[in-house]
Amino acid sequence: MIYGLKIENDVPKTVNNFLKQLLESGKVEAVLAMQETPSGRSAFPTMISDPDKLDTNVFAPLLPVSTGAMVSRLTKVKGSKKPLAVVLRACELRALTELLKLKQADLENIVLIGVDCLGTFPMKIYSNYPGDEDPTEVVLKGEGEEDMRTACLNCKDPVPETADLIIGIFGTDTGKSILLDTRTEKGQELINDMGLSEFGNEKDREKAVLDIRNKRDEARKAFMEEHSDIIGVEKLLEFFDTCVNCHNCMKACPICYCRECLFESDVFDVEASKYMAKAKSKGAYKTPTDSLLFHITRFNHMILSCVECGLCEQACPSDIPLMDIITAIAENAQAEFEYLPGRDPEEEMPMVVYREDEFQDVGEG
Amino acid sequence: MSEEKEKTKEDFEPKIVGFLCNWCSYAGADLAGTSRIQYPPNIRVIRVMCSGAVDSVYVNRALLEGADAVFIGGCHPGDCHYLNGNYKARRKMVLLKNILTTLGMEPERIWVRWISASEGQKFADTVKEIVDETKKLGPNPMKEKWNI
Ligand code: SF4
Ligand code: SF4
Ligand code: SF4
Ligand code: FES
Repeated sequence: MIYGLKIENDVPKTVNNFLKQLLESGKVEAVLAMQETPSGRSAFPTMISDPDKLDTNVFAPLLPVSTGAMVSRLTKVKGSKKPLAVVLRACELRALTELLKLKQADLENIVLIGVDCLGTFPMKIYSNYPGDEDPTEVVLKGEGEEDMRTACLNCKDPVPETADLIIGIFGTDTGKSILLDTRTEKGQELINDMGLSEFGNEKDREKAVLDIRNKRDEARKAFMEEHSDIIGVEKLLEFFDTCVNCHNCMKACPICYCRECLFESDVFDVEASKYMAKAKSKGAYKTPTDSLLFHITRFNHMILSCVECGLCEQACPSDIPLMDIITAIAENAQAEFEYLPGRDPEEEMPMVVYREDEFQDVGEG
Repeated sequence: MSEEKEKTKEDFEPKIVGFLCNWCSYAGADLAGTSRIQYPPNIRVIRVMCSGAVDSVYVNRALLEGADAVFIGGCHPGDCHYLNGNYKARRKMVLLKNILTTLGMEPERIWVRWISASEGQKFADTVKEIVDETKKLGPNPMKEKWNI
């Protein structure tokens, strides 16, 4: 069911008031949502229980971390005892869905509020946003694409389809009202007694969602085409030439699920003589070793669940445009297994299941 | 000129790393040895408890260190000692090859074969096939790269 949410002041404040109502009504004990830091240079998913401290901006065009990974942190030891509303973007929700499949998060007492995503800026741009304009206003006007992260411009779907409740922007007149789309009973219960009226412009909504999806799809195809020349060992080594093997990409990735990454462990540590032997076999050996091994293996471990949030790229100190290759790797690998991460919480991860009658050419001469 | 080049290309002796399942292919290799079935000496065998235990990291490492081919030998589908390790190995290797294909990194250097403990001849034939095909491919370019 789709309801309209009348704008008071501006869009972020309207949503903030909506969240405040949820807190004050006692339907939830806390809200986890994007809140700007006091300097205004950043915003983070913030757990807020005091309505007076609630000063969220769920449309802040910034993805500092994945809220999906934060929910995992908050609940992986034990689920929430008290009702909590989590506000998150589509890619964050998809990451959370994958983490749930890995049993690294718990949704007990959690209601998921998804927000339409207009795209986000790199941390470096957001925190020093040029001119006097407020970055949130810029994206709400439908502008700012030239500064957006490539992950966002190529987004597979900016609508958080599997949320309990969606706060929708596409297809609304943000001067007048935005929409609340209840997708589950849990979501419906949140707003039941708010006296909201029907949105009424379902057609506009549908069309706008279709338009944005098509736009992103086309951008994605063009992007993959543009970077399709990064193939072969020479090009790949050149691509990763400035990689300092810091593993930030892995740490920022919401999907890199290992409690201890293989590459942070000591399994590759060997005595000096072995390194000497390695050097001798090739004549020379760059250290730290195994950068490419790290990347290719990481892709093998997580690419089927890669939600293309681009956090890896944002975390790279060498500004390696990781999405230039990850987009195609994810696309092809996920197509092979007809799997889309985050699409359906019930869908099993490809590497934990198998069918006897598949890939039968593998292993036969 | 081109003929000569061709010759040097096929002239090298490929190094093959084989990850062989203890319960089948490894025993198959053993049988080939004890039955004195001839096969090329190019393979270095690493025994694993199940083909399902071969993580992509082992395969990648061998390839990046310069192995000319990697061979994963497991039990025939339905015969895995741990029921479904080979089905999972199959998926893992499909994924690995898919990724290497996207990256243009010679997925054809990876071989998966199901060979039982009684198939000594099949083991020998497979090694020969891998050696022949790898000679056609030429040496793994990774061998020359000091900067991986
Ligand atoms: S990847 Fe998509 S959902 Fe994620 S921040 Fe970008 S536009 Fe939003
Ligand atoms: S690999 Fe990069 S884009 Fe994919 S989920 Fe991880 S951080 Fe996001
Ligand atoms: S964050 Fe960048 S420099 Fe660090 S390991 Fe990843 S790609 Fe390399
Ligand atoms: S035990 Fe041989 S493949 Fe699993």
